[in-house]
Amino acid sequence: MNVKSLVKRNYKKQPEIDFPDYKSSIFRAPKNKKISIPSNLEIFGPIFNKKTIGELDNDLTLNFSKNKNSPLGHKIIVHGTVSDQFSNPIKGALIEIWQANAAGKYLHQDDKNPAPIDPNFSGCGRSLTSSDGSYEFLTIQPGPYPYPNRGIEWRPMHIHFSIFGESFGQRLITQMYFEGDPLINICPMVNSIADEKAKKSLVGKLDTSRSNIQNILAYKFDIVLRGVKQTFFENRQEGL
Amino acid sequence: MKNSRNILDETPFQTAGPFLHIGCMPNKIKINNLYKNDLGEVPFKNKNEIEMITVEGSVFDGNGIALDDVMLETWQCDENGQFFEDNGFARFIPDKSTKKFKLLTVKPGQVENLDGKNQSPHICLSISSRGLNMTLNTRIYFEGDDLINDPILSMIKNDKVNIDSLVAKKIKKNVYVFDVFLQGDKETVFFDM
Ligand SMILES: [Fe+2]
Repeated sequence: MNVKSLVKRNYKKQPEIDFPDYKSSIFRAPKNKKISIPSNLEIFGPIFNKKTIGELDNDLTLNFSKNKNSPLGHKIIVHGTVSDQFSNPIKGALIEIWQANAAGKYLHQDDKNPAPIDPNFSGCGRSLTSSDGSYEFLTIQPGPYPYPNRGIEWRPMHIHFSIFGESFGQRLITQMYFEGDPLINICPMVNSIADEKAKKSLVGKLDTSRSNIQNILAYKFDIVLRGVKQTFFENRQEGL
Repeated sequence: MKNSRNILDETPFQTAGPFLHIGCMPNKIKINNLYKNDLGEVPFKNKNEIEMITVEGSVFDGNGIALDDVMLETWQCDENGQFFEDNGFARFIPDKSTKKFKLLTVKPGQVENLDGKNQSPHICLSISSRGLNMTLNTRIYFEGDDLINDPILSMIKNDKVNIDSLVAKKIKKNVYVFDVFLQGDKETVFFDM
């Protein structure tokens, strides 16, 4: 009998949950250690239907534009692949993104940053990965923005990513940053990750080969979800 | 067989932040002309003939404040313990005024553990929000079910863990209450699985 299980998560490569430099974590981060249990239901997960994804869902320059007006700012391509820890591409993975507009403002009533809303930009997009695990978004370079933390601090330019692979246990929510942004290294949310290599893996790399073909700046961001292992078990006898 | 030394690192988490609704449930914040429906609005389609249950509750921070900017996601099997790729997933947020979430779903059946033992009916729950650098995972079990013989609950009960926090309380027929405590005496048990 073949049994599937998820590769154990390596918390050394993940952010610290209880990280007071990020003030909002102080009263929200659980204090107890997580309890380790074998994955079971979490091996399965929802699979999203191609038919639910609209043609413009991955084009944020058009999916909210009025009368074909472009949002302000410069266009960028954000692309990459979703694979598991064994380098197997994951097809049909759902990627949902959200981001601020070029002025660093979200289309959200709770965003108190006094920057202008862009009537042609929602900052919302989604896509399913192709059979080779690849995805692509056309969007606008998000601006950095101030937010209250230890006084006013600035978030580096970023795009929020939510990803569903094949298993509920592979679920990932993260952020992509932009190569060269000086705000990355002073961001407490980034610095909640102690491991330098892990931190760097969140930085989208300028992809000049792609930019030159399409005349639009391109960034590459590859995403790795937890691996799913197949283990062979001898069929056990009743009562053992 | 792939060499285990070549195993890649999982991409690290970052907080979902306070504006996750834009990407995950735009219709909820009146970004209406983008997606026809938000994903996971109902966990099961075509279940009218089956008795549904309601699981309601709040997510409390360390100050005892019920939060309204968290996103909850659930994953479960159907009443017969069967999984379906396009069913069983739900996504919801607490109501802005009552600070309570409400999940209308079918009561899950039992599922088999690796060793063939049945696991008590449960729903997998994940929680993401501002202030959480990683998404949290827990499980919703149900008061009134056989929880003593559940292989997972009996495995962890020696660890002085707050098993009670994993059990939704039945307040009337088909209605359960499940509150989540991020911190404090009643801190909910969160899993690494
Ligand atoms: Fe953000």
